[in-house]
Amino acid sequence: MPVLRGVDLRIDPGEVVGIIGPNGSGKSTLLRILATLLKPSVGQAEVLGARIGSSGILAARKRIALLGHHPGLWGELTLIENLTFVARLAGAGTERADLALELVGLGGAKQRRADHSSHGMQRRVEFARVLLTQPDLLLLDEAHAGLDKAAQALVEAAVGDVKKRGGGAVLVSHEPDRMLPLVNVTYQLEGGTLLGRKEMR
Amino acid sequence: MRERSYQALSLMAIAAIAVGFTVATTVPPERVQGEFAKIMFVHVPSAWLAFLAFGVTMIGGAAWLIRKTPIWDRVAAASAEVGVFYTALALMTGMIWGYPVWGTFWDWSDARMMSTAIMFFVYVGYLALRRSIPDPETRARRSAILGIVAFVQVPLVYFSVTLFRTLHQGTTVVRPDAPIDPEFLRALMINLAAFTVVYAAFMTWRTRLARLEDELEETEAVADFEIAGSGITAPNLEEAPDHV
Amino acid sequence: MRVGGFWQQAKEIARKDLLVEGRAGEALYITIPFGAVALMLIPLAIGTDRPLLAQVGPGMFLAVSLLFGMLVAFRQTAADTPPQQELLTLLGTDPAAKFVGRAATSTLLLVVFEIVLVPVTILLYNPGRIPGWPWLILVLAMLASGLALVGTLAGSVTAGLRTRNTLTPLLVAPLSMPLLLGSAQVVEALKQEQSILLWITLLATMNLALAVIGVVTARPLEESSR
Repeated sequence: MPVLRGVDLRIDPGEVVGIIGPNGSGKSTLLRILATLLKPSVGQAEVLGARIGSSGILAARKRIALLGHHPGLWGELTLIENLTFVARLAGAGTERADLALELVGLGGAKQRRADHSSHGMQRRVEFARVLLTQPDLLLLDEAHAGLDKAAQALVEAAVGDVKKRGGGAVLVSHEPDRMLPLVNVTYQLEGGTLLGRKEMR
Repeated sequence: MRERSYQALSLMAIAAIAVGFTVATTVPPERVQGEFAKIMFVHVPSAWLAFLAFGVTMIGGAAWLIRKTPIWDRVAAASAEVGVFYTALALMTGMIWGYPVWGTFWDWSDARMMSTAIMFFVYVGYLALRRSIPDPETRARRSAILGIVAFVQVPLVYFSVTLFRTLHQGTTVVRPDAPIDPEFLRALMINLAAFTVVYAAFMTWRTRLARLEDELEETEAVADFEIAGSGITAPNLEEAPDHV
Repeated sequence: MRVGGFWQQAKEIARKDLLVEGRAGEALYITIPFGAVALMLIPLAIGTDRPLLAQVGPGMFLAVSLLFGMLVAFRQTAADTPPQQELLTLLGTDPAAKFVGRAATSTLLLVVFEIVLVPVTILLYNPGRIPGWPWLILVLAMLASGLALVGTLAGSVTAGLRTRNTLTPLLVAPLSMPLLLGSAQVVEALKQEQSILLWITLLATMNLALAVIGVVTARPLEESSR
């Protein structure tokens, strides 16, 4: 039972792609395939030079960041512990963890437990992680949802950062207004099929 | 497979049971235990087929992990179900036989009985796991792994229980070890063959049922997909009929 | 994956799990008292006949360790939620390293569990001095690691299921039978001053088999959660 069909998508270095579609159109599925978390049942997907399902994907994975609806934090750990744990696992340095939290506006809440932090704060930690691990492919699922004005600047900063480094980014949303200023190309996703590629400016 | 073949298989299974039963009742009573020993015609084939069935579950699981085709998962699941049935049958007939012969339903000195009971619970757990996972692929994968782990454990369990018993011979009940009567052995073999035919029939029916269930699930999933992403008209509460 | 990276990852996972357990206290404040209560219930159920209790004491300790210790091994706070798991996957965490790290934490917690329950058993059952008792330290360590391994394995098979808390014990209990038998027979053999080599070998074999199975199945299992 395919959720996606006839999806033909190419993301070039430095490109920011926006995908717009209603709920249930397959946006999240597409994003999860790009994140190597799902394998397409038919056809092929290649991310950062590695075919999904091949063994090379393990190395490629580390260069991908996916920010979904629910932040991947451990409630019992403090915000800084969450960040350093992730950084160590990723093999990134932890010296800049403090700085990263300050940059996302959490300088005063470093020692707060994640389960005592608001959803917005938890989302900010995810952006701090992106700053720290510097992925080459940034995947944002409804990035703007649930973020206040100030935090929305983080989306912009994260996308700008990956673009500057020559990486790519994919943003999906069902309400494109806030996403559009950030992207080079948009697609419409409906019923699992990609329609209407549109170059922006 | 055609409907015809399923019917033929059903008839074969019924015929096999009939033959097995006739042979079992007509063979002369065993020298030491008399008619009691005839429960072996059910007990021994059940135990053997239980092992075979769980072996098939492991093979089905391993094949699924390699090939990822749904048929292997269905084979593994069907075989586990039939295996649990045969294990229960083996345990029950063992206990029924044990009471007059050993003087107790449950004999702690019998390593085979204890390992069979543990195997029973392991595969009851396997079936419970399958029931708990809604997603077909996750279900297939996790149960494949449990099926392999379980079967790898079987010899360890058997070995440890045997070791436990051989070192504690003190409580062992005297058991008849007279050489088996050839006619009795032949009847046992016929029943083993009959039970194998029944196993094959169960497997065929159960895998077919699983396939039909999967197809139904898929049809429902397609129907769900039509709902997802389709527009919703705002319900007009003003015009709703007033039932108060 | 490089070997150094593997152990580094296992260590990070173990450290994180310990920190989480330290804050949540699921094993320390919930499961350990639960086990101690269970040890109190048994004499009330079978009668407070002192010689009888002294005789069954070690066995009751082992049964309680197995039944309640498994709750330590697949405690809820050691289970990753789907977003956490996705994050770990994208960080390139080797599922086998995760298994090793997690089993190591559980072993440590189970050792603590046993350290608390041993004095409780001695106080309540007064089993007397078992000759060659220092061997029991080795046995308890192997029981802890074996149970941690089988619990972690079963915990990953049932990860994210609604029936997880009831289903996992059903899977663990029969599979860990050789661990119980091995440990109990060491106690018996020591009491009768017989050789314990066979039983120690059985416990070691179980541990080895479970560790190999856990590491080998970790990767194919992980795919399932996604």
